[in-house]
Amino acid sequence: MVADTDEVVRVEGVVKDFRPGFGLRRKRVLHGVTFSVHDGEIFGFVGPNGAGKTTTLKILMGLIRPTAGRASILGCDVRESEFRHQIGFLPENPYFYPYLTAREILDFYARLSGMPSALRRRRIPELLERVNLVHAADARLKTYSKGMLQRVGVAQALVHDPRVVFLDEPMSGLDPIGRKEIRDVILDLRAAGKTVLMNTHILHDVEMICDRVAIIVGGRIRHQGPVDAFLPEADVTTDVVLSQLPADAATRLEERFGLEMRGLGDRVELRIDDKHVGDLLGLALGAGARVVSVTPHRRSLEDLFLSTVRAPEVGPASGGGEEAA
Amino acid sequence: MSSIRRIHALAVNTVREAIRNKLLYALLGFGILMIASGVLLASLSYVEVDEILQDVGLGAIRFFGSGIAIFVGIGLIHNEVDRRTIFTILSKPVSRAEFLVGKWAGLTITVWLQLLLMGVAFVVVSMGAEATLRPEHALAIAMIGLELMVLVAIATFFSAFTTPMLAGLFSVGLWLIGHLSRDFYALGQQAEDESVSRAASALFRVMPDLEVFNKTLEAVHGLPIPLAEVGMAGMYALGYTVSTLMLGAMIFARRDFK
Repeated sequence: MVADTDEVVRVEGVVKDFRPGFGLRRKRVLHGVTFSVHDGEIFGFVGPNGAGKTTTLKILMGLIRPTAGRASILGCDVRESEFRHQIGFLPENPYFYPYLTAREILDFYARLSGMPSALRRRRIPELLERVNLVHAADARLKTYSKGMLQRVGVAQALVHDPRVVFLDEPMSGLDPIGRKEIRDVILDLRAAGKTVLMNTHILHDVEMICDRVAIIVGGRIRHQGPVDAFLPEADVTTDVVLSQLPADAATRLEERFGLEMRGLGDRVELRIDDKHVGDLLGLALGAGARVVSVTPHRRSLEDLFLSTVRAPEVGPASGGGEEAA
Repeated sequence: MSSIRRIHALAVNTVREAIRNKLLYALLGFGILMIASGVLLASLSYVEVDEILQDVGLGAIRFFGSGIAIFVGIGLIHNEVDRRTIFTILSKPVSRAEFLVGKWAGLTITVWLQLLLMGVAFVVVSMGAEATLRPEHALAIAMIGLELMVLVAIATFFSAFTTPMLAGLFSVGLWLIGHLSRDFYALGQQAEDESVSRAASALFRVMPDLEVFNKTLEAVHGLPIPLAEVGMAGMYALGYTVSTLMLGAMIFARRDFK
């Protein structure tokens, strides 16, 4: 892997073994994981449960030490702590001191980040408003719902205005409105030039907001690259529903385009390669048919994810994974 | 300087957390009850009534203060790991050593506050019983404060890498050894086998000598407590605390938080 000047996060050949108990054999959970996150992008880290996503994130946060390999953020070894005023972290299902209020906990984290009091007084109300918690700012956290705690978690990750933000399942436990709010916060971060690495199961969110993605399965990176590169134009198909299509015209269309039509009362449904849609519609309309609907259908990230997860493993340590162009 | 600010923030939060621990109030309540019960015990005797009253009082302060230091201290780090609050704290520019020191400082302050309350109870009970109060009583209580500081460091040390149950067992064990280590040393020196006496000397150097902080006898019987002795005890407490926390930080730095 060649060093890239705009690399903000770099994980190189990271291996992690855990020993389940005294005398038990070590279990390898990361097999030479390698990837990088570039400046100003939203990077999605996707994988099934137990794939090694959270372990990788904990290594980046210095909570777990890698067995082998190295990881750095902004050029600093993750085992150091001084550079951490430049990073923010939201763990999965965050838990906070229940006896503190949202305002107090944000003040606590701001102090730990070394923020002067004048800046804390300005920044904390701003953030409470940003995550929509002004109404509950002075209530004890033990009275908060899971979604509200998640928003406190996002606020503490951003309280010191970090350059790089790490989010572990940020949409977890949120209702659709809460998810939209967090999505907007993440997009605002990108607009402000921040870099975001996000662990998530929700592929729809990855498709919507991520610039690049890495798929990790069984502790190995299987794919990484721009989101668009996983969804090539060649994979685009279109679902067409026609009505009043004469039987002979239907047979001609099936033969010409190699289609299979499914009858739905007086309607037929078919799936056709995107580049033949114009021809098909011209011929169908010419034969007296009416067009009910035309729906473009792309191969989704979910399709890719499922096929990747189900595919057999290749090679003993496919650390870098397949780089999508 | 920024390191001091971070430790201060952690210590203040630890005090906030510790004062919500119900065990602390139970031990404090029993401590004050025990100090007050000195009046009852002293009434059973015709001689040295004041001495019995104050001996029981200072003993109760030491015993229940130690209980608070150990039983609140052993869950100090474990709870942070168990509830995963440590994840967000260590993601900030906080080193693991600063975290450990912040937790220790917070609990030490809490324990000293309880000591102050028990000290006030001791004074009130002594005045109620018209027993003589001398500056040596204050010095003896201050020495207990030093012992509690060491005990919090020991409990924090074990809490950094083991479960509260084991940390409790180890801490109570060290507390007992700490009050008996001089006797072990003296016994070892009388042994005919030189290796036994050498082992006793080595053990005496490693194990805490908590009897250094025990000035109950002097305070109760009106004997002078030289300030040099207090100073030496302070230096010993500081040295032992720093060494224990440094060793704890070294072990804690190698820990994985799964």
